[in-house]
Amino acid sequence: MQDLERINVKFYLADPNALSAEDTFRIFNNWIQTTTDEVLIDVADYSHVPEGPVTLLVGHEANYSLDNGHSEPGLLYSRKQPAEGDLAARLENAISSALKACQRLETEPSLENNVLFRGGDILIIANDRLNATNDAEGERILRSHLEPVLTRLFAGASFAIKRDPIPQLRLNLRIHCETDATAATLLKNLAA
Amino acid sequence: MGASTTWKERLSNQIPGNLAEEIDTFETQIHLRKQGKMEEKLFAETRLRRGAYGQRYDNGQRYDGSKTQQLAFPEHETKGPDTIWHAPGMMRIKIPFGGLTAEQMEVLANLAEEYSEEILHITTRQDFQIHFIHIEDTPDLMRRLAAVGITTREACGNSVRNITACPLSGVCRTETFDVTPYAQAVMSFLLGHPDCQDFGRKFKIAFSGCEHEACGLANMHDMGGVGVVKTIDGEERRGFKLYVGGGLGAVPHQAQIYEEFLPVEELLPTAQAIARVFARLGEKKNRNRARIKFLVAKLGIEEFRRLVREERAILPKDSRWTSFLDDLTLTDEEPLKPGQALNGTESGAEFTEWCRTNVYQQRQEGYVVATVALPLGDITSHQLRALADISRRYVKETARTTVEQNIVLRWVSETDLPQLYSELVALGLAETGAGTIVDVTACPGTDTCKLGIASSRGLAAELRKRLGEESARLDEAIEGLRIKISGCFNSCGQHHAADIGFYGNSRKINGITVPHFQVVLGGQWKENAGSFGLATGAVPSKNIPEVVARLAKRYVEERDKDEHFKDFIARLGKREIKSMLEDLTQVPTYEENSWYYQDWGDTREFTMDDLGKGECAGEVVSVTIMEIAAAEREVFEASVALDEGQLPAAWQGAFNAMLRAARALVKEEFYDVPEETDVVVVEFRSRFYDSELFSPKFANYLFAAHQDPPAEFDQIQVHRFIEEAQLFIEGAYTCYDKIAVPAEGTTA
Repeated sequence: MQDLERINVKFYLADPNALSAEDTFRIFNNWIQTTTDEVLIDVADYSHVPEGPVTLLVGHEANYSLDNGHSEPGLLYSRKQPAEGDLAARLENAISSALKACQRLETEPSLENNVLFRGGDILIIANDRLNATNDAEGERILRSHLEPVLTRLFAGASFAIKRDPIPQLRLNLRIHCETDATAATLLKNLAA
Repeated sequence: MGASTTWKERLSNQIPGNLAEEIDTFETQIHLRKQGKMEEKLFAETRLRRGAYGQRYDNGQRYDGSKTQQLAFPEHETKGPDTIWHAPGMMRIKIPFGGLTAEQMEVLANLAEEYSEEILHITTRQDFQIHFIHIEDTPDLMRRLAAVGITTREACGNSVRNITACPLSGVCRTETFDVTPYAQAVMSFLLGHPDCQDFGRKFKIAFSGCEHEACGLANMHDMGGVGVVKTIDGEERRGFKLYVGGGLGAVPHQAQIYEEFLPVEELLPTAQAIARVFARLGEKKNRNRARIKFLVAKLGIEEFRRLVREERAILPKDSRWTSFLDDLTLTDEEPLKPGQALNGTESGAEFTEWCRTNVYQQRQEGYVVATVALPLGDITSHQLRALADISRRYVKETARTTVEQNIVLRWVSETDLPQLYSELVALGLAETGAGTIVDVTACPGTDTCKLGIASSRGLAAELRKRLGEESARLDEAIEGLRIKISGCFNSCGQHHAADIGFYGNSRKINGITVPHFQVVLGGQWKENAGSFGLATGAVPSKNIPEVVARLAKRYVEERDKDEHFKDFIARLGKREIKSMLEDLTQVPTYEENSWYYQDWGDTREFTMDDLGKGECAGEVVSVTIMEIAAAEREVFEASVALDEGQLPAAWQGAFNAMLRAARALVKEEFYDVPEETDVVVVEFRSRFYDSELFSPKFANYLFAAHQDPPAEFDQIQVHRFIEEAQLFIEGAYTCYDKIAVPAEGTTA
């Protein structure tokens, strides 16, 4: 588990219909032109496939997608390349990167403030079946690294964690916190 | 949990030894290339032969809508000419005859999740493709596939590609016999076969159970077999009507009949003899004329046949030619449940419509084939995993991919159809219209292909959407037509064989490039791609849906009774068709309507600047160079063994490396040189040492080791021997430079 590098983080849209595939495609293309702190390569349209990555922004360090898994649209950040620090630091890095992308969408002028993400609803996936199996032991270890990060993220507010135990799935944790914090607030909490 | 082992360790008992070794070798080659110890062109061909393909933008550039931007990858090593190491690539995964097990589907689903972004794509040749893969992830990906019996070997490059077959084989109502075991046998026999390693271009094989349907597409393959039964001396015998020299590409060729009836016992040796003739006489330098179709056309079928028969006559006998015939049931599929008729159970109009277009009655009573129609050939990991589960509960854990980019479930008990349908609906996998005009086929095009000119997938999605919306109102006459789209003239979308085909190109309008598609009409999907269409004129991409609408309307209104579309097009004539589409060829100025200057599914202004160098043809690297490079890798592995203190293994590895390089050189002159060490050394001595083509000093390292191998080993002695082996390899490269026939010499 300590070697886990592939970490996925998803934040869900408050209004599931607020972000269209077309808008996301256009905005992701624009990100390729304007992003300087990571390598973004191309945008792919998979809107014809239900419950998949509707619009995918392919990067070198990470991918971003408007993901419609389980018909719950949201922003999915998928870390691919190794990041610095221990596992807790890498989890924090992935959450922070996902939040920055959410914030970027929330403040995208062409979307006219219509897009908001639910700050208190997060899906974390250990995207590596070799290093993280979806069982109680896997959950225990991942939680031990994640919970301190979540405590800071939610500024001490209580949160609940649930795992979908289907063994074929990757190790996954769904986090719920009663908060209406925006992406910007959560980023501030993490930085504090 | 938490035991951070590797996939190599975890799967060590599940991967056949030879496959495990091949993948380990490839991993070593990745390390060598990263260290700059393997030449990039050689590495490119090596990875292609392992199925690891390049993708658009892997030259580190992308047009962003206003100018071409450099993609700032962290390092600038390459994995081939103009191919950045870190750029995402595509993994092509061979699925012989499209046959899948539930376990394989689950592994494929897992791989797409962990190494890509949960999307799997089915190709027009029954392969799977996963895009956006990092080269350093490919060895583990290959191991996980190998553990469930899938190889990616020779999925790309100048090799025998996936062998396709009719997905209805074994259950088809009109087939002569089930061609599956024969496709499987040819695949196993030719995979990695020494006679298939020196092609100038790829080689595609397909099998079909009958002449009149399209499923096998035997007419458009390098080699195609159609099952035939002949009575000889009162006994019914199986054989194949064997076609050779077919192919699409920029210049399509209809295959020619090599043999009206080739007994099944002769299938494998004939395929081997054809491969040898192709390797020996096929074009090597000009890749545009290197497919076997050009060789057959150049020689003429009679001369080609004579050469193959001559080759066949001198082939050393191989027990594998006929051993597979002892048990032809190995690939048989059996039902999970008793076959029962539906008995008129009502399940609504949508179910009825799905049954009409997506369900095929098997020849076995009470059983049907259900087609899962996949838009653009794409399926998510979640869907594929669920389909694996369905295959366990409804059929006996099997499914097949199709050349129309769908998946079929065979041996479904008819009575299970309503329940199966409702489960597919829940998964978003119950689209109707399989095998109809709505089921548009497209190659990856500009989405991911380096050669794509226009967006074939973007256009296919648009046509699928429009035709799908109108499907209830579509006239019966046009419902069965096929639309196939390629992003360029290379025909991966098989546009030549469609009723209505398109391939991407472009035109300059007032100095600005506009995406277009060439309209190709008159092809025939049935009868194994019985005829190819011809280009009728280029139309702006955004007007293509109107082209389809007009052609369909005209056909419905003006066709003679039972007149096929192909015949209707021929009757209408090119002049009339051109006139009918004339206004659609016009492009408004950019100022009037800039929409025409973007492609389907893209928000950027259209450009040709993203076009790269295709890897479809692979890199033409001689088999001798490949072997010497492999020997060099063995020297490297010997040095690793030395570091680990395994002295006998290190010495043996270095010796084997020298022997391999020597044999590679001998093969240049004596193709069928046996593998016995003594023979190789004698042949090498007489051909290269005595003639002074090879450095005598380096050659003596081999002779000395062969004549007087050490009884005991010490570190210094083995270390020195490994250095000698490396020098021998250098000598082999130098010698090859002296003896190699310039590539021009292979053309005639």
